[in-house]
Amino acid sequence: MPAARAALHDVWNPEEDDALVCLDVQQETHDVKTFTFASREGKRFVFKAGQYFLFDLEHNGDAENRCYSISSSPHRTNAFSVTVKRVPGGKISNWLHDTLVPGATIKANGPLGHFVRPETSGRKLLLLSGGSGITPVMSILRELADSCEPADVVFMHAGRTPQDLIFRDELACIARRLKGLRLHFLPETVAGEPSWPGLTGRISKDYMRLAVPDITERTVMCCGPAPFMAAARTIAAELGVPGANYLEESFDAAVIDEPEIPAVQEAAARVFQVTFSKQARSIDVSGDQSVLSCAKKSGVRIPSSCANGVCGTCKSKLTSGTVDMNHNGGIRQREIDAGFFLPCCSKPLSDLVIER
Amino acid sequence: MLNKLPSSISALLDARANGHSLPAGLYVREDVFEADIDVFFHNHWICVGLDCDVPEPGDATVIDIGKTSLILLRDDDGEIRVLHNVCRHRGSRLLDPGKTIVSKLVCPYHTWTYELTGELSYAPHMGKDFDKECRSLKPVTFKSIGGLIYVCLSDNPPEDIAILEQAMVERLAPYDIRNAKVAFQTDVIEDGNWKLTMENNRECYHCSANHPELCVSFVDLDFGFDPETLSPEDREQAEEHLRLYEERTKAWESDGFPSAAVEQLADCATNFRTQRLIIAGAGESQTHDATAASSKLLGHMTRKDLGDTHLWGHNSWNHFMGDHAVVATVIPLSAGKTLVRTKWLVHKDAVEGVDYDLDKLTDVWVATTDQDADLVARSHAGTLDPAYQPGPYSRFSETNLDKFASWYIDRMRAHGY
Repeated sequence: MPAARAALHDVWNPEEDDALVCLDVQQETHDVKTFTFASREGKRFVFKAGQYFLFDLEHNGDAENRCYSISSSPHRTNAFSVTVKRVPGGKISNWLHDTLVPGATIKANGPLGHFVRPETSGRKLLLLSGGSGITPVMSILRELADSCEPADVVFMHAGRTPQDLIFRDELACIARRLKGLRLHFLPETVAGEPSWPGLTGRISKDYMRLAVPDITERTVMCCGPAPFMAAARTIAAELGVPGANYLEESFDAAVIDEPEIPAVQEAAARVFQVTFSKQARSIDVSGDQSVLSCAKKSGVRIPSSCANGVCGTCKSKLTSGTVDMNHNGGIRQREIDAGFFLPCCSKPLSDLVIER
Repeated sequence: MLNKLPSSISALLDARANGHSLPAGLYVREDVFEADIDVFFHNHWICVGLDCDVPEPGDATVIDIGKTSLILLRDDDGEIRVLHNVCRHRGSRLLDPGKTIVSKLVCPYHTWTYELTGELSYAPHMGKDFDKECRSLKPVTFKSIGGLIYVCLSDNPPEDIAILEQAMVERLAPYDIRNAKVAFQTDVIEDGNWKLTMENNRECYHCSANHPELCVSFVDLDFGFDPETLSPEDREQAEEHLRLYEERTKAWESDGFPSAAVEQLADCATNFRTQRLIIAGAGESQTHDATAASSKLLGHMTRKDLGDTHLWGHNSWNHFMGDHAVVATVIPLSAGKTLVRTKWLVHKDAVEGVDYDLDKLTDVWVATTDQDADLVARSHAGTLDPAYQPGPYSRFSETNLDKFASWYIDRMRAHGY
């Protein structure tokens, strides 16, 4: 707990302060938790909705940095929250889920980031998020609700199933009292909730045109997994949203579903160590090569056939690390969620350990 | 099939006396077993599984019947498919027996790769001019009847499945078996011929002596009794029971739940019987105290007093109750070995330990299935004994066995034996 209530003027200073205490952990969905932190000295936090904190963690003796967007309202100054999704193979998010409990201390720098509402007030907004990309736009919405600002906001949130929609109940609550807020939930499938009353699927031009007919008049703020953001960007451009009105949380700062993925550009040039745990072999694979082709060249044998993500013969368990996989139907999302990948169509984004 | 010469099996068929069990050879001979597989498992509709065996796209399960192996799966559009488990290259099996998750069907031998629709999508090293058309996995004729998967491996599937379909689609609708969940499954291999397994299931003559657990909820008199051998007291009870049936059936039907018996047991290809049966005691479910095992009822069921909708086929028996269902399929493995695969179904959102207790859900039929396995083994061992001679069926409590044996002989003859 904070040692003592600090004087009102004591504000968290990003230059000096870095010690946080975890106050609370809240289970949001089956694989998403919200962690709330206070300053150890009880200082107030001043930040803009949409910003993030950079957490310094020690994991198995290695220093790790991860960015997590603030999900709480900037009007609440005694403590802020981040909301984290458990990611298969994601070592830091899983570590947070498994070990961070109220009372634990942690170091962080921030607030950081420029994914904030444009100054020009009165602009119409489309807050668009996929998965745990909801965090920065949730902070924005909570701020609007707290400040009772006149709002004209479409809040659109996509997730795998209705049960993966984060903050679903709270959003419904806010929508009941914040005039000028329209909610759109878009689960990919109705799994777990067959009575889902709305549409399902992925965002598309047709869906967007129907749901947000005045999209060209809105400032669009988007955050989510890379493929989601890429699709949203294309759709918005095709529907005529001027580039200047389109904001997205930059790739390396966003709290997206794959938080461990460094920027692809950077990864391509790097060389990673790929370890085959059953054969006790390690090879170097550069970020622009497929794991399978490098394995073959180095004499590591993995059963394979099509070499382009169709047949799934090379399906392997990825014990640690992340890859950029471009498969053609040879693996199911369920298998990916269970930690499998196809080496034939995957480039490393970090060091890898493969159960082969 | 008139072009077949009378076989040595024909003599056995001729030897069957009306009202009597079958001659020993029909239970024990290997050539009869082969003929049975051909006639009853390749040329008739058989129940092989459930929609909810493969709840999600990519779920697949393999079912072996004789030398035939089938893949039951759900494709990427959520549709059920049944395909032959034989690669179109050199015939290798694609999937191993049991359940799995697939993204494509890939032959492990030379990695010929098929879409879940069965379409061949990738065949390495076959040359650029190789025509993949007409190389899809062979589909199997099937019907999902209220969530039960019936297949027919013949090119001429019997058309009278329509009568079963007509009766069951409406009866099964409230249970929504398609969206149920398999909470538990057992595979019991009985040491006996499949016909003894089916005969054992078609009478409850043996129930009071052998199934103390089942008799709490199941009424053995439902499948016939000899009024003369009952004590006056028992007779009165039996008559009261019959009156109750009339009354309940009328009440259920007027509430919109078809309940009267529908049966097609003789002079037909597709052999089945269904009726909504009264559950004894607490009246809710086939459990050790006849109360429901799951607090979340099946499908759209809102009441627990709708009895037990039973359904027989020639290779299956099923009980659909308010809170759960027990479905069993029978697959012959050899003349003297038969697989009985039993599944317990609950509402797909029912949570074990919260909505239902797995022991309570399963203990009656686990015990009954084991007891039946023992009875079938005794029976089969007896038919192997040179002293075995077909005996008379009871005209009160084994009439359905007489019909089954007569149907069996008829269908064998219809297929040229």
